[in-house]
Amino acid sequence: MKKLFVLLAAALLLAPVSSMAAWAPSGDVNVIVAYKAGSGTDTGARILASEAEKNIGRTLVINNLPGADGKIGWTQLVNAKPDGQTIGFINLPTFTTLAIQPDSTFSVADVVPIANHLSETGVVAVKADSPIKSLKDLVAACKEKPTMRASTNGVEASNHTAAQLLAKSAGFDYKAIPYGGTADQLLALRQGEVDFTCAKVADVAPLIKGDKPELRVLGVFSEERLPEMPDVPTLKEEGFYDKWYGAARGLVAPRGTPQEIIDFYVEAFRKTMQDPKNIEAHKKAGLNLDFKDNKQYADLIAEQENFCRDTVSKLYSK
Amino acid sequence: MDTLSLMGAGFLHAMSPLNLFAMALATAVGVTIGCLPGLSAAMGVALLLPVTFGMDPATGLIILGGIYCGAIFGGSISAILIHTPGTPASAATAIEGYQLTLKGEAARALTVACLASFCGGLLSCISLYFFSPPLAQLAMKFKSPEYFWLSLFGLTIIAGVSSKSMLKGLMSGVLGLLISTVGMDPMEGVPRFMFGQSALYNGVDVTCALIGLFSMSQVLMLAERKIRARPAATKFKNKFALSFPEIRRLSPTIIRSWIIGNIIGILPGAGASIACFLGYNEARRFSRHREEFGKGSIEGVAGSEAANNAVTGGSLIPMLTLGIPGESVTAVLMGGLIIQGLQPGPELFTTYAGMTYTFFAGFVLVQFFMLGIGMLGCKGFAQISRLSDAILIPSIFLLCVVGSYAIHNNVVEVVIMLIFGGIGYLARKFDMNATAIVLGLILGPIGERGLRRSLLLSDGDPSILFSTPLCWALIALCALGLLSPLLMGRMERKIAGKAAAPSDRA
Repeated sequence: MKKLFVLLAAALLLAPVSSMAAWAPSGDVNVIVAYKAGSGTDTGARILASEAEKNIGRTLVINNLPGADGKIGWTQLVNAKPDGQTIGFINLPTFTTLAIQPDSTFSVADVVPIANHLSETGVVAVKADSPIKSLKDLVAACKEKPTMRASTNGVEASNHTAAQLLAKSAGFDYKAIPYGGTADQLLALRQGEVDFTCAKVADVAPLIKGDKPELRVLGVFSEERLPEMPDVPTLKEEGFYDKWYGAARGLVAPRGTPQEIIDFYVEAFRKTMQDPKNIEAHKKAGLNLDFKDNKQYADLIAEQENFCRDTVSKLYSK
Repeated sequence: MDTLSLMGAGFLHAMSPLNLFAMALATAVGVTIGCLPGLSAAMGVALLLPVTFGMDPATGLIILGGIYCGAIFGGSISAILIHTPGTPASAATAIEGYQLTLKGEAARALTVACLASFCGGLLSCISLYFFSPPLAQLAMKFKSPEYFWLSLFGLTIIAGVSSKSMLKGLMSGVLGLLISTVGMDPMEGVPRFMFGQSALYNGVDVTCALIGLFSMSQVLMLAERKIRARPAATKFKNKFALSFPEIRRLSPTIIRSWIIGNIIGILPGAGASIACFLGYNEARRFSRHREEFGKGSIEGVAGSEAANNAVTGGSLIPMLTLGIPGESVTAVLMGGLIIQGLQPGPELFTTYAGMTYTFFAGFVLVQFFMLGIGMLGCKGFAQISRLSDAILIPSIFLLCVVGSYAIHNNVVEVVIMLIFGGIGYLARKFDMNATAIVLGLILGPIGERGLRRSLLLSDGDPSILFSTPLCWALIALCALGLLSPLLMGRMERKIAGKAAAPSDRA
């Protein structure tokens, strides 16, 4: 620890000198992840960080600051010194959901987008032995019996929003049962405690493989079919919610970070995400790489902010 | 290759010099992390997880397994010596362990803890090896109503630990349950009793409360007596070996705790902190030396430690076979597996069986390293109990502050720890029961979620709580848990009465 401190101090002293040339980080880069080590966000972040080191030229130190659904880590991220030594991962739409709350400790304007890393499309799933075979079956069943139950990963959490989008667009009522997280939510479906669920494609992927899959995916929250499940229709095709919905994770820097630093990171992560070795590592881990540069990513963040402000608030009004 | 030869090959791989060195180091690191309050097994595994990425998956997993087992055992060292459970998994160990230390028998208590941890861990490997798929089905059977009854069964332990006053024990338990409602409501998402503190969003951290209730209150108690050399130091017994009859006396307890720990480990959402209390309580219920409980019983230490280490093997079962992490440590381990490109599920036992069985073998061998480290160390560790209060008080205080801060790097948790220190101090002064408060705190959220989710599922119809055979089995256990202390107490009094009667006449 002491050694690290000395190194950091030395790095700070050297910083003005090195800024003469094109910008490059002057020490280990602190990467804030607002979720625990070993969580989905953390897993993805670590895979990318370990592959990105050769393009950044410094060690990327993942700093897990979990708690309060991301609030704690993101508050620290926006308050970090904008010198390029601290960047972090944000999750959409959770970040924008929190950012638009009246008492929020950060806003969307407090971060500068670098690049999008992953995107995971939302899916609707039932147990493999369920009599419900298609989205139409599900909607019909829900209309007939308004007590059909869906497990969610928490009250107004991402997968609850997905279920609401389906229900509102198809015009049915259902009962949302909150579970602690995605793992518990899927366990409830596997146990048969609930009738259907909405989750992300990566979460259900291991459960729909093999000769005896445990779950069946009925539809995807996307405008076009997903390449990994070409037989599954989109909600749009069936006449329900017609836009993409899912989760996206990407990198941002605190507000005030100079443009040359942002440009440095955009290039470094572009190279990393196009690297075949990195693509292979993501494939193995079941992560869906989706590189967007800082401009495209800024559009996505803005779009998600509008979605949270205009659509989500209406979803939960009774 | 058939399974047996895969298992054999696993041992051969695990015994490579590099792996053996990794195990020794990881176990030692784990023990150190475990005995420092605030640094839990989950944190240790998460801390070391990034280090393992560059390694061979099996070696990486073995290291994480070593830290996991080492930390669960390590927690008992500080629990026994300074009444400061290093991890919540050792909360029940502190009850009897510290009493033994006060009697000058710290070395013996540590030996028992080490031996029990070893046996619990080793036995849990049996189920890991041979019964993973059928036992994993148990995790699928536990639904919301079952969790409600499980937490209620856990709460019946309060009856067992409140030896002084049942009323005060129950009051303490209710206080714990009340405190457990702080934070975000799990069903409606409404903040409860948070007073605008975002640190309380996920409720009061159990580790933080535990440090306050057990350790900080201990500091206050010690400081209240004048700081002076401890009387215990004068009667310090250096004996640490166990006699054969003692080992024989412990073995039924260890086997019982193994089964308890293993089952609790398999259930997602339960975990070592519940298992240690159940193991302790059953050790007490079946003990032939019940009078020793509360005054320093080696069976109590063994019951708790065998159970929490049996959780380790058990908790790997649903994670590896079903991809369901049972507790925070296995959640981190699962993240590690995925980063290595291994998806939990049946493939681990077919395509990747070589890696899996190497990991299992490593898990077995880690237990031996744990035994070695514990046995070599316990004589040395025990010397801590001879330190005078003038050194101990500031040291424990420092550990409390640093430990509670380390949980989330948050000063608010230090304040919470200090508040719980005050609660713990008052609890002791008024003969309330700090253990019962902790039980309420740990089990409250599990019970609340189980009950409210069940009722949400059934539209408020309570019959869902009685709908499966497993529910009834758990109800029977609850009844047994509630009634047996009363019946046993009455029986004891009868026997005591008969024994006392003749001497009265004489």
